[in-house]
Amino acid sequence: MNRLFTGTALIAMLAAGPTLAEDKTTVTFLHKYPEPESMQFFEAAVAAYEAKRPDIDIVMEAVADEPYKDKIRVLLASDQVPDIFFSWSGEFGRKFARDGRTYDLTEALAGPEWQGRFSEAALDPLRFEGKQFGIPTNVNAKYMVYNKTIFDEHGLEEPETFEDFIELLETLKSNGVTPIAYGNQAPWAGTHYIGDFFAKHVPDDVRTADYQLLSKPEELYTHPGYIKALEQYQALNEYFNRGANALPHAAARGSFFAGRTAMMYIELVEFYMVPGSGLEEAGWSFFALPTVDGANGNQNLLTGAPEGFLLSAGTDVAKEALDFVNFITSPEMARDYVKTTGMTSAVIGSVTEETASDAVLAGLQRLEQADGMALWLDTDMDTASANVILAAGQALLSGDATPEGVMAEVRKKALEVQTTR
Amino acid sequence: MPSRRPATLRQSLTAWLWVAPTLLFLVLFVYGPALANIRYSAYSFSAMSQEMDFVGLANYIRLFADPLFLTGLTNNIAYALISVFFQVAFALTLAAVLEARIFPRFAANSFRTMLFLPSILPVVVVGLIWQLLLAPSLGLVDQALWALGLGEWSRAWLGDPDTAIFAVIMVSQWQWTGYIMALFMVAIRAIPRDLYEAMELEGASGPRIFFNLTVPGARETILIVAIITILGSLKVFDIVWVMTAGGPNHSSEVLGTLMYRAAFRDDTIGYSSTIATVIFFIALTVGMVQIKLQKDH
Repeated sequence: MNRLFTGTALIAMLAAGPTLAEDKTTVTFLHKYPEPESMQFFEAAVAAYEAKRPDIDIVMEAVADEPYKDKIRVLLASDQVPDIFFSWSGEFGRKFARDGRTYDLTEALAGPEWQGRFSEAALDPLRFEGKQFGIPTNVNAKYMVYNKTIFDEHGLEEPETFEDFIELLETLKSNGVTPIAYGNQAPWAGTHYIGDFFAKHVPDDVRTADYQLLSKPEELYTHPGYIKALEQYQALNEYFNRGANALPHAAARGSFFAGRTAMMYIELVEFYMVPGSGLEEAGWSFFALPTVDGANGNQNLLTGAPEGFLLSAGTDVAKEALDFVNFITSPEMARDYVKTTGMTSAVIGSVTEETASDAVLAGLQRLEQADGMALWLDTDMDTASANVILAAGQALLSGDATPEGVMAEVRKKALEVQTTR
Repeated sequence: MPSRRPATLRQSLTAWLWVAPTLLFLVLFVYGPALANIRYSAYSFSAMSQEMDFVGLANYIRLFADPLFLTGLTNNIAYALISVFFQVAFALTLAAVLEARIFPRFAANSFRTMLFLPSILPVVVVGLIWQLLLAPSLGLVDQALWALGLGEWSRAWLGDPDTAIFAVIMVSQWQWTGYIMALFMVAIRAIPRDLYEAMELEGASGPRIFFNLTVPGARETILIVAIITILGSLKVFDIVWVMTAGGPNHSSEVLGTLMYRAAFRDDTIGYSSTIATVIFFIALTVGMVQIKLQKDH
C-alpha cells in the first residue's frame, strides 16, 4: 500500500514538473544542412534568437539531402509536420502547396519587415497559383568549373558557343586528358545536364507548361527540341570519365579536385570546397554551359534554383515561426550565413566582397546576368516524368535507351498524371 | 511424469497473461500493419494528400503489367538462387573443411573469426565501402585487376546494367557466408565423432564422408538456413538501395527497392502497399512450404 502511494506521488510530480517549468512556445524546425559549417551558423542563430526572445524555444533538426526526401514524407504522412521545414523550389515544393500542407505566406511576405529582401527570381519558383508558399534562403546555380593549369597547357579558353565547347573537349580528349569528371550513380546529376539542354532547346513557355502539365494533351512533351537536347547529352558521353553511372558525385568531384580531369559541372554551393584542394593550387574558374546556335530555347537561362523554408499549414505558431525566419534572413544574419558557410544566401546584398570569396561572388553575379533560372529538372517536372528522365540519364550513356524512346515514355507518363489532375 | 489434468481456469488465465504482452505487440506492430497494408493497396494516395481514393484492384493490375515488376522479381529469384548456392552449399563445405581437423584448432578458429567478421558490419557501411572498392578507375578492385594483368576484365561493375545486380549479390554473399558457416560448424559438431572415425577407418574419402555423413547429419540446419536465405532474398532492400538504388536504369531493382521508391519518391503509397502485399504473400507461401517440409520429418 505504501509503495503504491509513493509510486503515484512520484508519477504525479514527474507529470507536473515539465508543465511548471513551461511557459515557452515551441517552434519545430527541420532543415537539410547538417554539414559542420551550416550547423555552426544555425546553432548560433537559434541561440541568438532564443536570447532575444526567451519565451520561444526552437527545436531544430538537420538531416542530409537524400534522407531528407524520405523523412519529410514520413512526417507529412503521420501528420507530424514541423512548423518550419525545408523544401526545394519547383515541383518538390509545389506538391506540398497543391495538397494544402503549406501555410500561405503571400500576405505575411508583403509586410514591411520583408521588403527588399529577396529578388523576384528567388521568390517566383516558390509560388503556386500566384500564392507564396516558401521563403527563399539560398540560391544555387550550376557551372562548368575548369582547371586553369590544364586549360593553359593546351591553349584553351572559355568557350562562347557549344560548338567551341565540343572542339575544346575534342582537344583535351585527343591529348589524353579526361575532359569532364562525372558521377551519375545517384541519377540527379544527369538531370542537371538534361535540364540545362531542355532549357536551351525548348522555348521557355512550352517547357514550363509541359513540366507543370498545363499543356494541351496533344502537345504535351512533343516539341522536337527535347529530342535534340537528349542527343546533345548523349554526344557528351565520350568526354565523360569511364563508368560515370557507377561513380558517386562526391567521388567524381574528389577526382576533379585532385587534378585528374579538366572540368566538372558543379553547383555554386560546392565552390566553398575548393580551397585547400589541388584545384585551388592549379587555379580555377568557371563558365555557364554555352549557348547552342540555332536552338529554340532561351540561351540565357541558368540552371539553378532557390531553396527555402516552408511553414506547415497546421502550425499553431505561425507568427513566431515567421519571426524566426525573418530573423535568420535579416541582412546581418544573411551576411553571417554567407561568411560562415560559403553558400549564396538569397537575401539581396548578403553576398559581397567582405562575406564571400571572389569565385562565389562571381558565380552570383553571373546568375544575376541570366534571364532567369532553369530549375533542377528532377525537382521541377512532375514526379512520374522526372523518374523517366532520372533513369534515362543513365540509360542514354549505357546505350540502353534512345532519345525518342525516352521522350515517348515521358509523354506517356505525363498524360497519365495529367488526367488525374 | 505426473499425469496431466486439464488446466484449471486459474492456470490457463496465468498462461494467457504471460503470452498477452507479446501477442499484443505482434498484433499492434506486425499483424495489424500487415492487414492495414492490404487495405491500403486498394487505394491511391500520397504522403501529402489527406484523402485516399478507392481504386480496387487497379494497383494490382498496374503492378502485374509493369515491366519493372518482372525485373524486380527476376532479380529476387537470382538473389535467392545465388544465395542458396553460396550460403548453403559453399558455407557448409567451408564448415566441413574447418571442422575436419585438417587445420590445427588455432588456425580453424582464426579462419572462422575472419570469415564471420563481415556479418557484424552494418549493411550501410558494407554497401558504401564496396561501392568505393568497385568504382571504375579509382576503386581498388579495378586497380588490382589492372595490376594483375587482368585489365580486360575491368568494367564499371555497378554502372553496367548487366553486372550491377550480380555485384550487389556477391557483396551480400561476402557479408553473410561466414555467419552461416559458423552456424553450420555448430551443426556439424553435433554429429557424433565416432561416426566420422568409423568412416575414416573404412577408408572413405573426404567427399564421400561429406555427402554421406555431414549433409544428412546437418539436415535440419540446412533446411532452416535455406528458408532463411530465400526469405531474406525476397525482402532484401538496404544493400541494394545503398549500392545502386535499383539502377543503373532499373537493372538492379528488387521488389524491396520498387516498394520503397513507390512510397518515398513517387508518392504513390497505395501502389507501394500493393508491392508490399505481394512480397508478403510470396513470403507466406515460402514459409508454409517450410512448415510442411519440417512436419514431414
